[in-house]
Amino acid sequence: MRVCELMDRNVIVCDLNDSVKDVIRMMKANKFCPIVVVDQTGEVWGLISRLAVIRLCGKDLSQISAEDVMRPYKFEVDPQWPVERAIELMKRTRFEHLIIIDPHAGPKRPIGILSSFNVVWYMSHIEMGHYESILKMPEGWCPSMA
Amino acid sequence: MGEKVARLMRRGAITCRAEASIRDVAQIMAVNSAHYCVVINNQHEVLGIISSRSILKAFGRDLDQTMAKDILLPYTFTITPNDPIEVAIHLMNRRKIEHVVVTMGLTGNRTVFGMLHAEDIVDKMTQN
Repeated sequence: MRVCELMDRNVIVCDLNDSVKDVIRMMKANKFCPIVVVDQTGEVWGLISRLAVIRLCGKDLSQISAEDVMRPYKFEVDPQWPVERAIELMKRTRFEHLIIIDPHAGPKRPIGILSSFNVVWYMSHIEMGHYESILKMPEGWCPSMA
Repeated sequence: MGEKVARLMRRGAITCRAEASIRDVAQIMAVNSAHYCVVINNQHEVLGIISSRSILKAFGRDLDQTMAKDILLPYTFTITPNDPIEVAIHLMNRRKIEHVVVTMGLTGNRTVFGMLHAEDIVDKMTQN
């Protein structure tokens, strides 16, 4: 399987100068996904995780910029990579999220995110979108029987 | 923040047995859309927690032969509903975990009471 078949295509980006307060708003609006930090040209600079945000609990979030809290991101993961290669990179670098870069769009444009949870899916060998069948109850089952 | 864990935690947890294979644990997490799985013993007491990262680290091992108890992060700390949120945040940052098991903490009882997730703390941070 290739990375592009497993990754999430919904990439949420913020600017280097956005405040952490704005970053949290973006997270809340997008199921608390990590936020990719880009510069004005759209090039990837870093990644902000939930753990990076909760470290700032109690501080003035409007005075702290995304650049101050992001983890710098210097890899270029191609969507055509085999998933195994990306997993090895995640293990080696301890990044739980890899930003997938468009190889045809010039300087480091993000087109997807591969998360450790995507890897869980991959390792579970459950086909995407077909997990409902696992949860299917036997015929004649009703909630009162539980 | 001044909140107690009880205000932000969610009751219940996704659990598995210590003898479950990594493949089973991955399936439990996948079908429940859970980024964690709490490993419990026969008395329903917490032994540890498996996160997406733990599963990732197990990549390359035999997923059907490796068991949950081989890769879990041992539960060597106790978070109770009465603890301040700051204690849980400190723990999450120190252990690099986004999910913390909450137990009742009474008389050494380590039965799972609920879970505290980093996303619930993030959610609370902008409400103040």
